Amino acid sequence: MSNILIKEPTIALLGQPNSGKSTLFNALTGARQRVGNWPGKTVEKKEGYYDKDGVRFRVADLPGSYSLSANSEEEIITRDFIASGQADVVCILADSSQLSRSLFMLADYVGIQCPAILLLNLMDVAEAQGKTVDAAKLEEKLGIPVIPFVAADKKHYDKFFDAIDRALKEKKLLNIGSLTDKYNSIGGGAYEKLLELMPQDGIGNYSASWLATKLLEEDKAVLELIEENLPQEAYKGVKSVLSSVENGVLETAGYKFKWIDELLKDALVYKERKIALSKFDSLATHKTWGKPLAILIILLGLIASFIPATPFMLVGSLVPKLGGPISAALSAIGAPQIIIDFITQVVLVSIYSVISMIGFVFGVNLVFGFLEEVGYMARVSYVFDRTMNKFGLQGKSVMPMVVSFGCTIGGAAGTRVIDSWGQKVLTIAMAWAIPCAATWAIVPVLSSLFFGAWAPLVIVAIFFVAGIHLFITGKLFGAKLIRDEDRAGLIMELPPYHKPKWGALFRSIFVRTGDILSRAFRVVFIVAFIFWLLTYSASGSPEQTLLYKFGQKIEPITMFFGFTWQTFLAYISSMVSKEAALGVLGALYLGGGSLFSATLGSGGAMAAGLDSALLSSLTAPAALAFIFAVSFNAPCLVAISSTYQETRSIKWTLRILLYYFVTSILLAFLVFRIAGLFF
Amino acid sequence: MIKLNEVNTGQKAVVADVCGDSRFLSRVVSIGLTPGCKIEMLHNEGNLPLLFYGRDTVIALNREESKDIAVEVVA
Repeated sequence: MSNILIKEPTIALLGQPNSGKSTLFNALTGARQRVGNWPGKTVEKKEGYYDKDGVRFRVADLPGSYSLSANSEEEIITRDFIASGQADVVCILADSSQLSRSLFMLADYVGIQCPAILLLNLMDVAEAQGKTVDAAKLEEKLGIPVIPFVAADKKHYDKFFDAIDRALKEKKLLNIGSLTDKYNSIGGGAYEKLLELMPQDGIGNYSASWLATKLLEEDKAVLELIEENLPQEAYKGVKSVLSSVENGVLETAGYKFKWIDELLKDALVYKERKIALSKFDSLATHKTWGKPLAILIILLGLIASFIPATPFMLVGSLVPKLGGPISAALSAIGAPQIIIDFITQVVLVSIYSVISMIGFVFGVNLVFGFLEEVGYMARVSYVFDRTMNKFGLQGKSVMPMVVSFGCTIGGAAGTRVIDSWGQKVLTIAMAWAIPCAATWAIVPVLSSLFFGAWAPLVIVAIFFVAGIHLFITGKLFGAKLIRDEDRAGLIMELPPYHKPKWGALFRSIFVRTGDILSRAFRVVFIVAFIFWLLTYSASGSPEQTLLYKFGQKIEPITMFFGFTWQTFLAYISSMVSKEAALGVLGALYLGGGSLFSATLGSGGAMAAGLDSALLSSLTAPAALAFIFAVSFNAPCLVAISSTYQETRSIKWTLRILLYYFVTSILLAFLVFRIAGLFF
Repeated sequence: MIKLNEVNTGQKAVVADVCGDSRFLSRVVSIGLTPGCKIEMLHNEGNLPLLFYGRDTVIALNREESKDIAVEVVA
């Protein structure tokens, strides 16, 4: 509207977990959003914008938290953003189906001097439970716009836009008297004494009464702020008032809920419901059956995610077929062979890999996004809490790990449902240690060749090492990624099951697809190009490639770790694609065939005659070292790219990559030396 | 008065007191567990976190930390 005076108004979204904040954010901004990290923090920062009536509105999705205390990095970021005055209006979301609890955020907001609106979200769920909420009555009591809302339903957005316009024009603040009056009885008038000592106009957007309340709650960050802003005498006064207050948090929270109860007394009508866990939930949270059920559902989910992925993969598989016609057409117009090779190999292979990956990532996001949306993921978190808590992870981190037994790309993509960035990175770092399906295309072939009937023992050993690897990796990366204060025990809401909102679900997936496509293509293309240069030879034979010459040069070093130059090159290629290991060995031991196509071609099969060539040139310890090195190497190029998509951090992607490179070589060394004692 | 983790599945109780540092207190109250809050134990089995109904929703709480919450069982 033309009469909004602020040039680009900023709307900040504030709400507890499960209040529907991200649904609203995605609906408002669509593809016009940027996801990054808050400067210097391990917390995700989501910003975007939308245009309405010629005005650009910026939207900041503040990190999810239960209150405005300073217990976590998320809460501190949220508070600092609101205090800084960057928001022109704060949009507070509450879950209408459980108003009494979810209005706590609103109660904690009381006294912040920034215009706000209250969205009573999930009104459809509340109505289905037989609850009616009188928004007009709440608006009258609170003094700010109050809107019944369904974030997943586009029909409700006109009321939202109107409320934002009203808030920007009228700049109304939340009424505070009805709550702060209650504080007067705490600790013999401590609240009033503190209020007198506060700077009259507050500090930034924090009013004197908000500051006094937080002081009663023993909020350390606010106490420091007060120390900086008050004369020493007054600060001493504050300290002496506080020394007489005990359990301030309990006292103020008690009044906050009393205030909420009074608000809702004649605004909320509902019938008492019978409370019981549903049959499914009794099973889903069962002490014995909860875990197997969760694993079964995740495995079914993994299989189901191939259904939407298949069309992409079919289209993708047509791409390499273009190679023949394209090279024929190019040689007809007299293009140099190197250009033809570049286009048919690097470009087509990159397009093929990215299209296949996008299909799978889309499938995983759809299936597991669905499980998250309907509320089942919270049950997985619940049953696996004790297991994953040892690493500072939430229980649902088990999902990406189970998916990684199938494919690490899907595991990395599945971390989308984890809301903490540090936990996301840690989960991916651990998931790489889980042997993916491609491992089993190589390990059984090589182990039965070298160890005959003892081959199953090698497979058992790989699982055993994977377990230890997972534990050590979890501890090492966890120490850097998970802050001590976030390792506290589980306190969370188990949301009721919701019907999926397909529109909102698809929107949230599509929003980032374009971004993922272009980033993934860049990563895959650059690595494929470098690998192509290293394996390029005009004649097509491996002997003239840079990689070959390099491998032979450094064989004295690699031999120390148990690698011949052939196995070392196959090991390097297995970082691009695990199935490549056998193909590259074939190209090197049997001669002929380009290394590039051996790595990125069909792969996986054992070339005829390779078995005898391997047996005659590799010792059993060297073969075993190679098996372990390939099993615990970086999973594949697309998984590396997918790790970068989800972490959005080059630094952490490279750290994980380097860690797996070094540890798999060390592991090979250990296996080689220990096995050398027996064979 | 008993500890929250001693409330059996199916029993109803009222929160009487919460102990701990201000960090723990503010986490617990922000999910709605304040003195006077009525709860109903839905699931108190094995080593799993407690599951109970309070303030219109199902809350999961770690077993260890639930020992710091004192409740009064109601008939």
